[in-house]
Amino acid sequence: MEGGVATNQRFPKIKIREIKDDYLKFELRETDASMANALRRVMIAEVPTIAIDLVEIEVNSSVLNDEFISHRLGLIPLTSDRAMGMRFSRDCDACDGDGQCEHCSVEFHLDVRCDQDQTLDVTSADLMSTDPSVLPVDVAAKSNSSAYDASENRGIIIVKLRRGQELRLRAIARKGIGKDHAKWSPAATVTFMYEPEIRINEEMMESLSIDEKRSWIESSPTKVFDIDPNTQQVVVTDPEAYTYDEEVIKKAEAMGKPGLVEIEAKEDSFIFTVESTGAIKASKLVVNAIEVLKQKLDAVRLSDDTVEADDQFGELGVHMRGG
Amino acid sequence: MKKTTSVAKQNIHGAYSNYDNLQDLINPHIESFDHFIEVGLEKMLILIKPVKIIDPFTKKKLVIYFGDHKLYPPQKERGKSTSLFKTLLPFECRQAKISYSGKLTVDVCFVYDDGCLIKETFNFGSIPIMLKSKICHLRGADSQKLVSCKEEPTEMGGYFIVGGLERLIRFLIMPKRNYAMGVERDSFRARQDGYTDKAVTIRCVREDQSAVTNKLYYLQSGSARLGFWVKGREFLLPVGIVLKALIDTNDHEIYMNLTCCYRDKYQKGKGTLGTQLVGERVKIILDEIQNLSLFTRAQCVQHIGEYFQPVMDGVENETHYFVGEAVLQEYILVHLDRFHDKFNLLIFMLQKLFAFVDHMAAQDNTDALQNHEVLQPGHLITIYLKEKLQEWLMKGRRLVQDELNTNREKFCFTNIIEVKKILDKNPSRSIGTAIESMLKTGRLVTQSGLDLQQRGGMTVHAERLNFLRFISHFRSVHRGAAFAGHRSTSVRKLLPEAWGFLCPVHTPDGEPCGLLNHMASTCRITSYFDSKGNVKSFPDIRKSILNVLIGIGMTPSLPKLVRAGPPEVLFVLLDGCVVGSISSTIVEKGVAHIRKLKLSVNSGIPDDLEVGYVPLSTGGAYPGLYLFTSPSRFVRPVRSLSHAGKNQDIELIGPFEQVYMEIRCADGGEGGRTESNPATHEEIHPTGMLSVVANLTPYSDHNQSPRNMYQCQMAKQTVGFSSQALKFRADQKLYHLQTPQTPIVRTAAYTKYNIDEFPTGTNAIVAVLAYTGYDMEDAMILNKSSVERGMCHTSIYQSETIDLEDQGGSSSNATKTFFRDNADKSLRSTIDADGLPYVGKTIYPDEPYYSTYDTVTRAKYKGLLKGSEPVTVDYVAVDANNPNKPTQKVNIRFRRPRNPVIGDKFSSRHGQKGVCSQLWPDIDMPFSGTSGLRPDLIINPHAFPSRMTIGMLLESIAAKGGSLTGKFVDATPFASSVRKENGESSSESDSLVDELGHLLKSRGFNYHGLEVLYSGVLGTELASLRAYGWIAIPFVQVRNTGPVDPTTKQPMKGRKRGGGIRFGEMERDSLLAHGAAYLLHDRLHTCSDFHVADVCSLCGSILTTSFIQPQKKAERAISKLPSGSIPKKVTCHACKTSKGMETVAMPYVFRYLAAELAAMNVKMSLRLSSGAES
Repeated sequence: MEGGVATNQRFPKIKIREIKDDYLKFELRETDASMANALRRVMIAEVPTIAIDLVEIEVNSSVLNDEFISHRLGLIPLTSDRAMGMRFSRDCDACDGDGQCEHCSVEFHLDVRCDQDQTLDVTSADLMSTDPSVLPVDVAAKSNSSAYDASENRGIIIVKLRRGQELRLRAIARKGIGKDHAKWSPAATVTFMYEPEIRINEEMMESLSIDEKRSWIESSPTKVFDIDPNTQQVVVTDPEAYTYDEEVIKKAEAMGKPGLVEIEAKEDSFIFTVESTGAIKASKLVVNAIEVLKQKLDAVRLSDDTVEADDQFGELGVHMRGG
Repeated sequence: MKKTTSVAKQNIHGAYSNYDNLQDLINPHIESFDHFIEVGLEKMLILIKPVKIIDPFTKKKLVIYFGDHKLYPPQKERGKSTSLFKTLLPFECRQAKISYSGKLTVDVCFVYDDGCLIKETFNFGSIPIMLKSKICHLRGADSQKLVSCKEEPTEMGGYFIVGGLERLIRFLIMPKRNYAMGVERDSFRARQDGYTDKAVTIRCVREDQSAVTNKLYYLQSGSARLGFWVKGREFLLPVGIVLKALIDTNDHEIYMNLTCCYRDKYQKGKGTLGTQLVGERVKIILDEIQNLSLFTRAQCVQHIGEYFQPVMDGVENETHYFVGEAVLQEYILVHLDRFHDKFNLLIFMLQKLFAFVDHMAAQDNTDALQNHEVLQPGHLITIYLKEKLQEWLMKGRRLVQDELNTNREKFCFTNIIEVKKILDKNPSRSIGTAIESMLKTGRLVTQSGLDLQQRGGMTVHAERLNFLRFISHFRSVHRGAAFAGHRSTSVRKLLPEAWGFLCPVHTPDGEPCGLLNHMASTCRITSYFDSKGNVKSFPDIRKSILNVLIGIGMTPSLPKLVRAGPPEVLFVLLDGCVVGSISSTIVEKGVAHIRKLKLSVNSGIPDDLEVGYVPLSTGGAYPGLYLFTSPSRFVRPVRSLSHAGKNQDIELIGPFEQVYMEIRCADGGEGGRTESNPATHEEIHPTGMLSVVANLTPYSDHNQSPRNMYQCQMAKQTVGFSSQALKFRADQKLYHLQTPQTPIVRTAAYTKYNIDEFPTGTNAIVAVLAYTGYDMEDAMILNKSSVERGMCHTSIYQSETIDLEDQGGSSSNATKTFFRDNADKSLRSTIDADGLPYVGKTIYPDEPYYSTYDTVTRAKYKGLLKGSEPVTVDYVAVDANNPNKPTQKVNIRFRRPRNPVIGDKFSSRHGQKGVCSQLWPDIDMPFSGTSGLRPDLIINPHAFPSRMTIGMLLESIAAKGGSLTGKFVDATPFASSVRKENGESSSESDSLVDELGHLLKSRGFNYHGLEVLYSGVLGTELASLRAYGWIAIPFVQVRNTGPVDPTTKQPMKGRKRGGGIRFGEMERDSLLAHGAAYLLHDRLHTCSDFHVADVCSLCGSILTTSFIQPQKKAERAISKLPSGSIPKKVTCHACKTSKGMETVAMPYVFRYLAAELAAMNVKMSLRLSSGAES
């Protein structure tokens, strides 16, 4: 290696592009795929949230059976800002694994009866929480945009009742992670793409007629390239729209101009898109994911049967033993 | 670029209120039962012959016959004492496990010595009533009313409820009625000496649907014999006698009639049917009767009567002449009443036989749909009930006669009450029970055979595994159980005659392949009812047809004329009656005229008239103009081109005429026809040839054909919405898909038949790639999170009926009651105070769910849950029919979740099934870089090349486009072969692929549906195709040990009986090839029917050995030896010693074989290499 100063040691950097409550787009640079993917996987499956886990049905005369309603209740996202600090029911000392104490659970009540001729929608808004910080996610209430009409949108529908039907139940929500059940996953979607590096062979490009250029541009289903109206030159308008489908490269070959464009994925640069279910904010999701990753590394321990290794590990060994 | 996607019509409001299309599918069943109610019953009662009883001493005569009848709608009795009746609804029958039946009463008329008539009403028991038939309570109910009657909103009826089970009578193929067919069969030679293999047969059907088959055999001598079956015996009459007995005629007339089809001048031109041999044969026929010295009609009739007197019932005291006429009336060409018509038809049959023998006309194919019709449920019930009533009357007569002979002092013959008492000895109510048990078992208990080929398997259970399976039962047509055993495959062949009537795709593979067919979706069955629902008047119809025929130049066969024969003139047969002859030069114009009248409303010609014009040919089918108005024929609609442009251009055609018609495809082309031979008709839509289920496969025209067949089978096995009235049903087992979806890609039939009411699957995001190796060999990987979010979640509903009266054994006063023993604390958690389980309670295996108490024996009993899975109590229904008695009968319905697990089968809609091999974590699934989407399931690309299910690829791309645009995509097959509305047929350029590809491209996706995916584990790029598909679940089977067959001790087959998957010959061969002998031994012997037999080495027998009961039990217990080491005392019965006893391991079937051989007096002995002999 010449120079001797080149090093592959890197410290990842994040640059936020767009931020909303339930949406986040950011760049992750100076790291590699393993890191990016680890972050993605943790966001989907290991950031804890709160979801209904136990349902006690008192009365159910609706058309859906008990299991069905319980399943639907479980899938309702609950605001889970408390989740990071909450205990897993299985680790809770206060209730001896009963999982019904205030430290590890939130109780909900639902009591709806239809006394009108119209069908009555039972929605997540009918769920009464015992903890004001843990509520069913209500996108309509949060959003200020006029797309949601508050009177029409009463949350997530659970079941419809007709006259005389009734639903009464008690539900216990607990902390959990998406690995155990999809209902605890805070991410609607998390994805990243490699940032493309597009190099147009300008010389070769100039040899094309304007029609050829146009048809070459159109071969891409997404709008990556365009023609500059002034210079009539092909310019890259949106490199990130490129989906690595290689349509433009194939088109160039079909036109007899191989090497017209070279597209490579940058190995150390990723563009993340995070959408949250509403349980926690998208930004919080990323922060929590990093926290979970940290905790994971923190929790690396030597197994008990490697006694003789103590000397070699030295100080590290003490840490690893939980010192 | 202007591209539009074809999009199926959508109903945004989701309210499909019109289920007429579905109802039309079932109507042939209902119409036939309506016929039974409205016409058949009455006609049948009239046609039952009165019986005569004569007192041997006083010579007083009593005639008994059936009079008026009344069939009541289903009712339930409100307590035994009151005569209050309440309507009985079908759902009540299903839950109470009783039959949906109505009382049948018939007035039995008694007439003494032609004196006054006395009517007595007899109750003939309860006849099961078909749902939605004329006297069903659901008839004419709209969806709202059906729902209030606790039925499906789409309830279509067509089946019976017998003992709580839904059963239907399956359509059965019958030879076409009243049509003479030339048949060649080797078995005819075996009738008697001198018979050839050729005959002309005709299945004659009376007005009440009862049938008699007549066969006209050709003899080597040149003569012919008329054969028919009476009481299980075939009688053969020389045809000359029958001809002469039918009408007053002479030899000359018979000769002229028969030879009219032969003229010297014809030579061997086109359409010639006769040869000079005909004349010779007629002479032989006439000589035969001369030799019997029968000359006049009376002599012939008397001759027949003398011969048949001992065979016929109730004619002991009649003259020979009377008997002879009765035979002619009841057994010969019974569809015709007038003897003159019978004579003419017999002449026609003889001519056809001679032409067939001389190879001037081809034989008719008995396996072709052209010569078939169908046996409908109502008609079967009519003829079965007729036989039962006839039997009852005969038996009643015998009882009275016996009473007269043996007990005449006490018995007063003239007292009607006493006669009735005797008749009651033969309970009339048993008739209803007989019909019910026929429906329950599908077996006909009959003496005469009812002129049917089979006696068993007439009914099947209308399974509601899913809706497609349910409706397929009603559309299925069985060829007959008799053909299942045939070695030849000719009956199973798909013949071109079946085009448009039977679906070429929808037949099971394997054993019943080609025998169990399904009607095409547009195929109907003609009925007794016209389009307005009025009963057709066949005499009127025939009269108006006759008038039309005469109008177009037909010469009527009456008054008698010496006629000419083909090729000059063609005979015209109307429903198997020779009505005249028409010149062959004008016949084609005449046919066109009749077809025109068929389409006009007020012509008096029915719209389902079959105009079978068989043109003159050389050595082809026997020519003639055959007109059929009869019910039970297949018909299908086609567009008549002669009427093009007018609204009334849909003509119903039958399979008989179709063969001689020019029907072109609706693609706008002529199908290679020339100007001189233009098409006269056009198909309405190419999908009309497919059955309902086959019509639901999207893009099925792009698939390899066997895959479409597999799909038809698989569609009927999938779990779906089996019933919307689930809450009111008590089926043994019902599957219910919790989260069904409507397919994005759908065919026109999907909308037409409202399949959305009963969906069978869900849309899923499918990735086609080889990802983990867990998707090898038709395995597939499911996304664990998708499943957790509810994909393919299913409930199984199982109902159990507990009837304490049944358990009590004797039907003496109910002593058992449901009761909870409060002292027993273990019962409290699951059982309520009434002894029945709490609704909503989860019950674990071996927990009690009901408890009873016997008030007499004071025995307590608790019912424990069987099986290995916990269930939830869904519903408890008690039979509160008798408020005075404690509850005796309850239905308990359990619900059990059944969510996807490893090993469950899933399938697409293209005959592609796979087994779930892993529930793969969401984060490990590949994801799309642009959208972050993870697939719901992954299938292997190797599933495509060899199976060529291109339709599946198209479907996934179309669905992807559809989900992007938010519109349903129309995937009706053969869309490219249909003329567009503007008259242009679609050109190649706007191909389907192009259309779908551009749709994707316009939404920023790859033209071919490809997408770049990243490994969920590594985060690196994978190249793949991803698409949307449509899947559904059936279930799995595996076993190591389990139930065995009691006779052979081998494992049982079939999942229903807990059997496993057969380790067959091919599997055996592959293990042999690997040299895995021990594994083979384990599979085929140890795990199968391993058996250790004791063999006597002295006599070599394994059957004569037997145990001697060891007596020293105490000694054994002390010694504490393992049981195997205790020497068993076995002796040989034959050798009377236990000296040579040896034990040999063998398959149990070997012992079974030895026993079977012994039953045939064959002894099998084993020689043991290390036995006593050494």
